[in-house]
Amino acid sequence: MPLLDIQDLHLEFGTGADAVRAVDGLSLTIAEGETLGLVGESGCGKSVTALSITRLVPAPPARYTSGRILLDGKDVLKMEQSKLRHIRGKMVSYIFQEPGSSLNPVFRVGSQIKESLQLHRPEMATDSEVIRLLKLVGIPAPELRIKDYPHQMSGGMQQRIMIAMALASEPRLLVADEPTTALDVTIQAQILDLLRDLKQRLRMSILLITHNLGIVGDIADRVAVMYAGQVVELAPARDLLQRPLHPYTQALMNSVPKLGREAGRLQSIPGTVPAVGAFPSGCRFHPRCPKAQPDCSKKVPELIEVEPSRFVRCPYWSHGKL
Amino acid sequence: MSLLKVNNLKVYFPVKHGLFSRVKAHVKAVDGVSLHIEPGETLGLVGESGCGKTTLGRSIIRLIEPTSGTVEFDGEQITELSGGELRSSRRKFQMIFQDPYSSLNPRMTVGQIIGEAIDIHHLAANSVAKEARVQELLKAVGLDPIYAQRYPHEFSGGQRQRIGIARALAVEPKLIVCDEPVSALDVSVQAQIINLLKDLQVQKGLAYLFIAHDLAVVEHISQRVMVMYLGKVVELADSQKVCREPKHPYSQALISAVPVVDPDSKRQRIILPGDVPSPIDPPTGCVFHPRCPVAEARCKVESPALREITPGHWAACHLAK
Repeated sequence: MPLLDIQDLHLEFGTGADAVRAVDGLSLTIAEGETLGLVGESGCGKSVTALSITRLVPAPPARYTSGRILLDGKDVLKMEQSKLRHIRGKMVSYIFQEPGSSLNPVFRVGSQIKESLQLHRPEMATDSEVIRLLKLVGIPAPELRIKDYPHQMSGGMQQRIMIAMALASEPRLLVADEPTTALDVTIQAQILDLLRDLKQRLRMSILLITHNLGIVGDIADRVAVMYAGQVVELAPARDLLQRPLHPYTQALMNSVPKLGREAGRLQSIPGTVPAVGAFPSGCRFHPRCPKAQPDCSKKVPELIEVEPSRFVRCPYWSHGKL
Repeated sequence: MSLLKVNNLKVYFPVKHGLFSRVKAHVKAVDGVSLHIEPGETLGLVGESGCGKTTLGRSIIRLIEPTSGTVEFDGEQITELSGGELRSSRRKFQMIFQDPYSSLNPRMTVGQIIGEAIDIHHLAANSVAKEARVQELLKAVGLDPIYAQRYPHEFSGGQRQRIGIARALAVEPKLIVCDEPVSALDVSVQAQIINLLKDLQVQKGLAYLFIAHDLAVVEHISQRVMVMYLGKVVELADSQKVCREPKHPYSQALISAVPVVDPDSKRQRIILPGDVPSPIDPPTGCVFHPRCPVAEARCKVESPALREITPGHWAACHLAK
């Protein structure tokens, strides 16, 4: 049984005629110890998906209209509030893009980590455990740094504190929502290195959300590519990066310049990412798709397994026409 | 003759403290940078946040007053110009900003935004000519001319960035300072803007100072690349040389840290310890030595000068060969 099993999740904002569907029929699984990369551009629904794992998207305004989110076999969408508190921050921990705005500026970082310990592992809420966690995330001189306030630390250090807080509860699933986007490349490399190391040492599952395909290749076992609220391709990371099948994934890879490659003209994707609530009919990528066929605007494609463990939402792939 | 020549440019910001705002120290944002750009050339400028790349770009066109040093543009000393003269020579160099959301006035229509510069420099004989020019510019950046009547909030990020480019082009500049023009955009839209900038360069013979933190983008668009660290230039060479055979240990680490899409690439990743030090109190000697994997004793004492290691390849490192 996978640790996380999202089945046919539909999430809407607003009501009646104004309702917009941010997540539309999303299915994903994450096995114990596996790292899944969730890739997509802004507005594709990847962050909402991540938050809905522990029902953190406030309802209302959101409505989980259908689907199931099974965490270790239990449906999160049917759980009582009191049960959710045992999951949020405990079984599932989060780290976010902006470490500076996720930390409380008026408390010392040591006491913020201790708070997490008091909530989830009260018997371990000691300075020595905090120091052990700080060492785990690679903070030099942790005995001194526990007295620091967040503003005294750099962005990379703050993100390490966030990771230490997330690890305090010994989570089984770590959700990292664009954890390195706000950081410089050399610091990004440090944080990715840390995540890779922690994943091996602690055997936890990671859901890594990013818009950068390079990061996915670095750390993920499997990758799901999202576009306009739907998963359009799901495959083992290596296969997907070597041979993307969905036209959107292909276009996305061709539109990024690669370091050290001959500088030809970049293949840009025409148009812009559709806004939530204004998704095109049929296949949502068809207005921008270089391989669109006449009936792509009418028929809604299904996510189909075209090769073992490779899923693509494009009928022309499953028909073998492209 | 070079279009732009910057010589030993320094920008220091005072750090004030206490009752009478005594100047306690200086942030050396740009510390003795020299560079030149030829007509029609793109010089890429990379570095991490806080290395002074934006300050350098802005001080070249005097949006920030340089503390010392000279900027010569098209044979004219920009640093010595005053008010009116500076305004009229700004026609020749323009800027495109990072955030297309905050760099367009939300209360002006696109036509007014682009037309304002045409008015200031008296480039159109009458309002009909101005309108025609605005429409021509919108077409040049790939937008429908009817958009001139609309307001910025009606556009997506990529479209706004096109408006920003049209505004810069309105006065027919020779140089455009592009400060992170694609980093706020979605990946699929970035390529559109990069291609547009390249096309415009060919059509109009523009020179760019292209500032970005994304090395792959910079390599793609630039002929030469300059790497900055803590206000100083650490490496300068043809873009392919910098990206394929970097000489400075900082550039080597920077390039190795870029995540690659190819799962088979066997690159050795150099992970730099620590963070960029504060530019208020930079390290002695070579500013990079506390994080440098190959630092020697003399690196702590002697500050390395930028020297030509191989023809056309400059690096500021005692050990570069």
